[in-house]
Amino acid sequence: MAMRQTPLTCSGHTRPVVDLAFSGITPYGYFLISACKDGKPMLRQGDTGDWIGTFLGHKGAVWGATLNTDATKAATAAADFTAKVWDAVSGDEVLSLAHKHIVKSVNFTQDSNCLLTGGNDKLLRIYDLSKPDAAPQEIAGHSSAIKKSLWCNNDSQILSAAEDKTVRLWDSRSMEEVKTLTFDTSVSSMEYLADGEILVITYGKTIAFYNALSLDLIKTVEAPAPINSASLHPEKDFFVAGGDDFKLYKFDYSTKEELESYKGHFGPVHCVRFSPDGELYASGSEDGTLRLWQTAVGKTYGLWKCVLPEDLGTENSEQLYSSTPEIKA
Amino acid sequence: MATPVPVLRLPKGPDPNSRGFDPNSPRFIALCRTSIPTSAAAESDPQQLQEEQHARSVLRERFLRCLLAMSNKKVRFHMHEKVNVEATFGASDIDVLNFQVSDLHTPIGVQKEALIRSQDVISFTFDA
Repeated sequence: MAMRQTPLTCSGHTRPVVDLAFSGITPYGYFLISACKDGKPMLRQGDTGDWIGTFLGHKGAVWGATLNTDATKAATAAADFTAKVWDAVSGDEVLSLAHKHIVKSVNFTQDSNCLLTGGNDKLLRIYDLSKPDAAPQEIAGHSSAIKKSLWCNNDSQILSAAEDKTVRLWDSRSMEEVKTLTFDTSVSSMEYLADGEILVITYGKTIAFYNALSLDLIKTVEAPAPINSASLHPEKDFFVAGGDDFKLYKFDYSTKEELESYKGHFGPVHCVRFSPDGELYASGSEDGTLRLWQTAVGKTYGLWKCVLPEDLGTENSEQLYSSTPEIKA
Repeated sequence: MATPVPVLRLPKGPDPNSRGFDPNSPRFIALCRTSIPTSAAAESDPQQLQEEQHARSVLRERFLRCLLAMSNKKVRFHMHEKVNVEATFGASDIDVLNFQVSDLHTPIGVQKEALIRSQDVISFTFDA
């Protein structure tokens, strides 16, 4: 008995959702932060999408948002030329880091002691959060606005993607460029999986997978439409992608086969990420919503409930069965 | 014929009246008990904690009484970029993010009703 995916819509934002990030798994579950052009990033419970709080303080569109592993801190990057660090338990603003232009990306080190920022001033900045008044270390090199910057290789290196159509790998100590990948078009998104050292890059209709240490290409997959973001499942069996045709696509990572596509969003999909346990993935769209999608459709998880054929008989759903159900629990 | 996966309920949306971060949630209680930064230090002497908490309560009460006393009075706001404006104070919102004022005298005219963003304000003065 085939089950159809029921996406869970998280409303609340009033403008396009441009970035989202999950925390790691904490004793209180895992959490999700969404960056929105309405300037009000929100924290949600990761497995249900329930709103927990809104980080108030930015005076412009928020372009990037991230959580540290235990979801005690959040960081946001905004068009008001600041990156802010927040206490993700109380919602209070802890630090405001002034920049010279729009900030697009923020990323914590694993120990949450340093914050990496990147934006339209073409510089990568490393802030020591224990010394907030100290000037950040700056890495120059990109010739256009930086869209995404991440720590990798146990925080010893940095990956950055910019409008100059390059993705660069830097040594975070020497601050020198180690390697550059050049593309024909600007990269639309980048995701880093520490476990397995895989880098997921999207550009045009392509989803490309690289070895994050050597920047050697592993494989590329073509999607039916221009893709804005993709995410690889923690177990590396699937990946999901979303883009300009409003749909979410699910692919088999080993065979590169397109398995499913889901409609639901009313605008281009800007970001998509798997949850840390791989049971669901979240997508953010131009339509101002976040949607949660099940990896294994029909499984009981979060707000989704697996209903057995016998149970369905007791509810008013007479149109559902025309033949004997073959699937048993 | 595929059945849509049943759902227990929809995700809860934002509360229109607050910014969230429920202080009664298990996570908040466990992780935020000492939200007082100085008291989060390892050597938190209970006596010192109590004194600090008392001091904070006194300051908070004074601030709230000040806001009450300001109601319908003429207040001068000293703001960033050397902006000094005078207005009749109305009220503050619950998180002290905005001040509602009337008859705001600005260099380009008098605004009958206005909202001043509290983070833009450095200080304000009034005659009690």
